[in-house]
Amino acid sequence: MLEAKDWLAKIHALNIDRPLRIMNVCGGHERSISMAGLRTALPEQVRLIAGPGCPVCVCPEEDVYQAIQLAAHANVILVAFGDMLRVPVNVAKGELRSLEQAKAAGADVRPIASPREAVQIARQHPDRQVVFFAAGFETTMAPVAAMLLEGVPDNLFLLLSGRLTWPAVSMLLDSGEAGFHALVAPGHVATVMGPEEWAFVVERHHMPAAVAGFTPVSLLAAMYSVLRQLIEDKRFLDNCYPELVKPGGNPAAKRLLAQAFEVSDANWRGIGIIPASGYALAPAYAAHDARLRFPDFNDAERKRAGQMPPGCDCARVVLGKIAPDECKLYGAVCTPKYPVGPCMVSDEGACRIWWSTGVRAKEHA
Amino acid sequence: MCLGIPMQIVSIDGFNARCEAKGVSREVSLFLLQGEDINIGDHVMVHVGYAIQTMTEQEARSTWELLDEMLAAEGNDA
Repeated sequence: MLEAKDWLAKIHALNIDRPLRIMNVCGGHERSISMAGLRTALPEQVRLIAGPGCPVCVCPEEDVYQAIQLAAHANVILVAFGDMLRVPVNVAKGELRSLEQAKAAGADVRPIASPREAVQIARQHPDRQVVFFAAGFETTMAPVAAMLLEGVPDNLFLLLSGRLTWPAVSMLLDSGEAGFHALVAPGHVATVMGPEEWAFVVERHHMPAAVAGFTPVSLLAAMYSVLRQLIEDKRFLDNCYPELVKPGGNPAAKRLLAQAFEVSDANWRGIGIIPASGYALAPAYAAHDARLRFPDFNDAERKRAGQMPPGCDCARVVLGKIAPDECKLYGAVCTPKYPVGPCMVSDEGACRIWWSTGVRAKEHA
Repeated sequence: MCLGIPMQIVSIDGFNARCEAKGVSREVSLFLLQGEDINIGDHVMVHVGYAIQTMTEQEARSTWELLDEMLAAEGNDA
């Protein structure tokens, strides 16, 4: 089996005569790339771009606001994956800016690590209403679907902010200003959904794509594959994570996703509506829909409702238009300790990842 | 996060499995692997408490090498 240094040698032996940009769309990929220092190990002409790979970062501001209001005013137990608790919303000074602040002010907000914990908490508190604020991509939404199909108590409601990964890439490619030449496709999304979902990159856009796992070896194999495809002008969808990514993906997971959810147009924070990019509860689960159960906890008239915080460039970071350290707030007023935008909050956010691997603020002119 | 954690199955009760990794034991759901032939001793990739795919011991080990590095690096970002 080839090791990382062997793949690097193979990449350096390629005749790369022009700048080539490879996008990844997975926070796990970005973390592994940053930690292993792959950016500096690759030939100078190759640039790695972090694209839309962070579900917390694109979770609509109004959904976070609604979760905060529910926690603060509806006397519910609000449970969410831990990343979500520190994401700030746009409210006037003195109002609750995050679920963490709501918790500090006395609201019953609980971080969870699994949908199973949401069910356990609801069962332990049959006299309370429990709202599970669930943001995530396919890899997380399949477990949420499994939770629903396995049966949930009547007092558990979902505030769903699930998203599909490929439509954001499709939107970027259709825009004509994608800004990258090849795609490294997300390994665990493809484990669940199958690698075929990414065939459109090759077939419709004539762009090389390779599914990668999370080790430097798998990532470098995928980078070698797409670079070689570009140089030899032969495009195909490669699978560099065959240990987990099977043709067709995980059939049971796909069936459960189709039973629990419908795919709908969905808003991405700072980016806007992307067609057929979100999961909504199927009608059979309407009784568990927090949006139907608590319709009065949003305020679309709020100043900057739905937007990124003032000065925050998270939307362009998410789309790979700029690198994290090209945002003027990065490391200046926005740090993991005092995050301004969601990309500095989440473990899957590019800003947070770059900061944790030692990238500090650039000098801005 | 999307990385997932490889674990080894030590016991199975319906769709629930007791899994272990690095001496830590967890209850994991096998609901997403229904229809698959799953046995005690198998390695699975676990994401938010659910096994999403089976994997070889070799693959589990190389993923753990990566996770160990990441855990060691944590705390450097405060």
